[in-house]
Amino acid sequence: MEPEQPSPDTEHESLHEEQHLPPPTLWPIGFAIGIVVVLVGLVINPELISSIGAVIAIVFGFLWARDATAELRGQPLVVEPERREMREAGEGMTAPPADQQGVALPPVPETAVTRSRFLEGATLGLGGVIGGLITVPVAGFALLPSFLSQKQHKVDLGPLSTFPLNKWYIATFTVDPMQGEVSRRTAFIRNNGTVTDSKGNASPSFTIISNRCAHLGCPVQANGPTGQKFTGNPSITEHTDNGRVDLESVLPAGYGCPCHGGQYDPEGNRIAGPPVRALDRYAFEVDNGRLILLSTYSVAKVVGTGAQAKIYKYKQAGPGQHVDGPEQWFYPLQPPHH
Amino acid sequence: MAVRRKPTKAELRRQRMEELVNFPLDWLEERSGLIGGVRYFLFRNVPADVNWMQTLGSAALTAFLVQAITGVILAMYYVPSAATDPATGKPVAWESIVNISDGVFMGWLVRGMHRWGASVFIILMFLHMGRVFLFGAYKYPRELNWIIGVLILVMGMMEGFTGYLLPWDQTAYWATVVGINLNGTAPFLGPWLAQFLRGGQEIGGETLTRFYSLHMLVIPGAIMALIGLHLYLVIRLGVTSPPWSKDAAGMEPEQEEEPRLRPGLTRPVPRPAGASALQAEPGGRE
Amino acid sequence: MAAIPKEKPSRTDESRAEFARYKEDVKARGKPFYPYAMFHDTIMSMVVVTVIVALAAIWKWSSWGPGHDPTHKGLLGPVVDPPADPGTTSFVPRPDWYFYFLFYLLRIFKWPESVFLGTVGVPTIALMLLIGLPFLDRRRVRRPSARPVAMVAAVLTIVSMAVLTWKGATAKEALASEVKQDVPRWIAQNHLPKDAIPGAHLFAVAGCTACHTYLGSGGSNLGAPDLSAIGTRGLGIPTQIKHLENPSSVTPGSPMPPFASLGVPRLTQLAKFLEASKGGK
Repeated sequence: MEPEQPSPDTEHESLHEEQHLPPPTLWPIGFAIGIVVVLVGLVINPELISSIGAVIAIVFGFLWARDATAELRGQPLVVEPERREMREAGEGMTAPPADQQGVALPPVPETAVTRSRFLEGATLGLGGVIGGLITVPVAGFALLPSFLSQKQHKVDLGPLSTFPLNKWYIATFTVDPMQGEVSRRTAFIRNNGTVTDSKGNASPSFTIISNRCAHLGCPVQANGPTGQKFTGNPSITEHTDNGRVDLESVLPAGYGCPCHGGQYDPEGNRIAGPPVRALDRYAFEVDNGRLILLSTYSVAKVVGTGAQAKIYKYKQAGPGQHVDGPEQWFYPLQPPHH
Repeated sequence: MAVRRKPTKAELRRQRMEELVNFPLDWLEERSGLIGGVRYFLFRNVPADVNWMQTLGSAALTAFLVQAITGVILAMYYVPSAATDPATGKPVAWESIVNISDGVFMGWLVRGMHRWGASVFIILMFLHMGRVFLFGAYKYPRELNWIIGVLILVMGMMEGFTGYLLPWDQTAYWATVVGINLNGTAPFLGPWLAQFLRGGQEIGGETLTRFYSLHMLVIPGAIMALIGLHLYLVIRLGVTSPPWSKDAAGMEPEQEEEPRLRPGLTRPVPRPAGASALQAEPGGRE
Repeated sequence: MAAIPKEKPSRTDESRAEFARYKEDVKARGKPFYPYAMFHDTIMSMVVVTVIVALAAIWKWSSWGPGHDPTHKGLLGPVVDPPADPGTTSFVPRPDWYFYFLFYLLRIFKWPESVFLGTVGVPTIALMLLIGLPFLDRRRVRRPSARPVAMVAAVLTIVSMAVLTWKGATAKEALASEVKQDVPRWIAQNHLPKDAIPGAHLFAVAGCTACHTYLGSGGSNLGAPDLSAIGTRGLGIPTQIKHLENPSSVTPGSPMPPFASLGVPRLTQLAKFLEASKGGK
C-alpha cells in the first residue's frame, strides 16, 4: 500500500528487538483476520459472522493501537534508561556502530529508527490502513453489484399459433414482471415456419430482432405500414405469465433509427448510417407449443433470409461496440452478461 | 472632537448600539480570524478598470447557489424510484415530479428554477470562459485556475446529464440510454464504465438511484470544492484588467514612460466612508 | 510585445516581473472590491435570478394545457414528458440543448468505423485542448488584437458549436407518425390526382422518407435523391414498380432495400403517386 514508507510493523519490530521488549507484535495480523472475517461474513452471513469479525477486529485493533502508541503514552523517563541499556547490549551483539548520527546524543545503532521517523511511518501506514478499510467496502458496494447476479429471464410470448407464417409483428413485452414497466422491451418477430436439419429433424424457426439500435441503443422503428388495413393481420394483445404482450402487425421494408439515422434491412443488416453491426437478436425456445424468448446475442451480419439465413452470431456486446473486424480489439473484455 | 465634553444622550445611545453590534463580531474575530478574512475579501483592491464582463463569474456562482438551494428543497419531495405505482400504473419518480410541479405549494417555482437555472448556469460558465479567453486571463500565473474552471464546467455538464434522468420520462430515459452507451464505446474500459453507470446490464431502478446519488451528493460536493479552490486562487492572484485598457494594471514600463493618462495617480479612487478605516490593514484587526 | 529588450530576459522572468507590476499597480491604483466591483456583481446576479424566475414562471403558465395535462407542450416545453417507456415503438429521443452539438456530431460520423470518433474521440480531444490551453499559448501578450491565432480559433470554435447546436436542435427524423401529417400538403402542392392519394399515404408510412426527401419532408442525412419531382423523369409505372420490388435490378448497385414485401397492388399505388409527383410550384 505504501511502498516507499517503511511499514510501521517492521519499524515497530526492530524497535522492539533493539529494546529487548517482548517479541514483535501479532496484533495487526489478528486485526487483519478480523477484517477478513467481516468481509466474508458480508457475503455469507452478515448478522453472525460479520459481528464476530467486527469484535475480533475491534479487540485486536485496540491492542494494536495500544501497542503502537505505547511509546507515546510511556514516559520518556522510563524509555531513556532502557535505551541506554539497549545500547550497551547492542554494542555487545552487533558490530560497533560505525557512523554516529551527528544530532543524536546517544549513539544509536544503524538499524534503529528515530522517533520522528517511526511516528511518520506509523502515521502514514495507519492512515493507509484506515483509507483501505473505508475504500474497499465502499468501492465494493459501488462497483461489484453492477457486475454480479445477472439473471437470465424467459419471456413467454404465447402459443405458436399466434404467429402466422411469414408475417411480421412488433412485439412489446415485459422481460421481468418483478421489475415491471422498466423491463418493457420491443422486438420484431417473424415466423419462418419449420426448418429441417441434415438429420431430418424439423424444428420451428423464428426471426426475433431486438429494436435497440446497434449504434447507441435508441429504439429503432419499422419502416413500413402497420395494422390490419395494410397487412391483413389483426394486431392483438395477449396476457401470458410475463404479463401483457402487445403484437402489432407490420410490413417492414427495414428499420430506421430516430436518433442518428441508422438504417437496417428487414433481417437487421445495417444498410446505412453509423450502426457498427446488425441489430441484436433474441435466442428462443419452444416450450409446450409456446414461444419463449431467451437472452439477446449480437449479430455481425445476416446472409439470406428467414429459416435459411446464416447468422454471424457473437456474444452480446453493448451498442456501438464492434464485434468483428479490427475494431473489435477495442473491446477485448466484456463485463459479464447473462 | 478636540474639545472634551460630556457626550450627549444620543451619542451615548449610538455608542452602545455600536458596541452591541461589534461585540459578537469581535468575539468571533478573536476566536477565528474569520472577520478579518471576510474583510480582506471585501476590501482587497481590484484593478480600477474592471468591466461588466467580469461579473460573469460571480453570476455563474449565483446560478450555482440557486441550483444548490432549490436542489435541496426538491430532494425533500422527489422519490427516486423507477417502480410502478400500482394505483396509477405510472412510475413513482415520474409521479413525484408531477406532484412537485402541481401539488406542492410553490413547487412549480422551485422545480422551474432548478430546471432553468441549470441551463443558465451552463450558459454563464461558457460566457465566463469566453471572457477569460478574450482577456487572456488564463496566462501566467493563472493557468491552474483555468484548469480548475474547465473541471467545474465538465462537472456542471455531468450534473446536467445525471439530473436529466431524474424525472424518469421519455426524454430522460432515452437521453440516458444514449449517454451511457456513448461511454460504452470508449475503447477497453468503456463497456465496464457503462455497466457501472447502469448499475447492471439494463437501465432500471438501480440506474436511477445511482444517478440521484451522483447528482445530489458526489458531483455537487466536487463542484463546491472546486469552486472554493477557484475563488481562493482568484483572491490570491487578483483579477486582470481588460487587456485593451489604457490603464491596465501590470502594463509594460516602457509604455508607461510615454505620456499616458494615469488617473489613479492624480485622482485617487474614493473609498466608502466606512471602509477607509477598515481598509487600513486588510486581513488584520484594527 | 512592442518593445525590444536589450538583453533578452527569459519569458518566465518577464511574466514574473509583469505580475509583480500588476500587484503594485493594483495596490497603488486599484479600488476596493466592495462596493465598486461587487455592486456590478450584485446587479448581474439580480439579472440572473430574475431571468431564472421568469423562465420558471413562463414554463408554468404556458404549460399544463387543457385538461390539466402535464405533458402539454408550452412555450418552453412540457412540465414533464410521458413516463419512461423502454419498450416504445414511436419515441424520438433528443438530449437537453447543451448536448445538441454532441448529438449532431454523432450524426455526422455516419460510418461504422468512425463511431467512436464521435462518441469519445472528438470530445476527448476538445477537452484536452481546453485544459491544455494555458500551456499551448504561453506568450505573455493579452490584447486580442495581438493574438490573431487564438482569436480565429475561438471564433471558429464558437461558430462550429453554434452550427452543431443549431443543426442538432433542428434535426428531424422522417418518422411515419410525423410525415403522415404532411400528406395533405403534398396533395395540395403537387396537385396530386385522386388515384395518387392512397400511394401518398403509403409513401408516408412505409419508411421511404427515412432516406428520401419529398417536398421538404424526410431526412436527407443518408444522401438518397429527392423525390418531389420524380414524375418528371418519365420512368413509367412498370419501371417504378420493378424498381421498388428490387432497386438494384433497375439501378445496379443501388443501396436501396427491396420493397417487394408490400405486394404488387400497394407498389402500384406507390408508383402512381411517384409518377404524379411533378415537383410542386
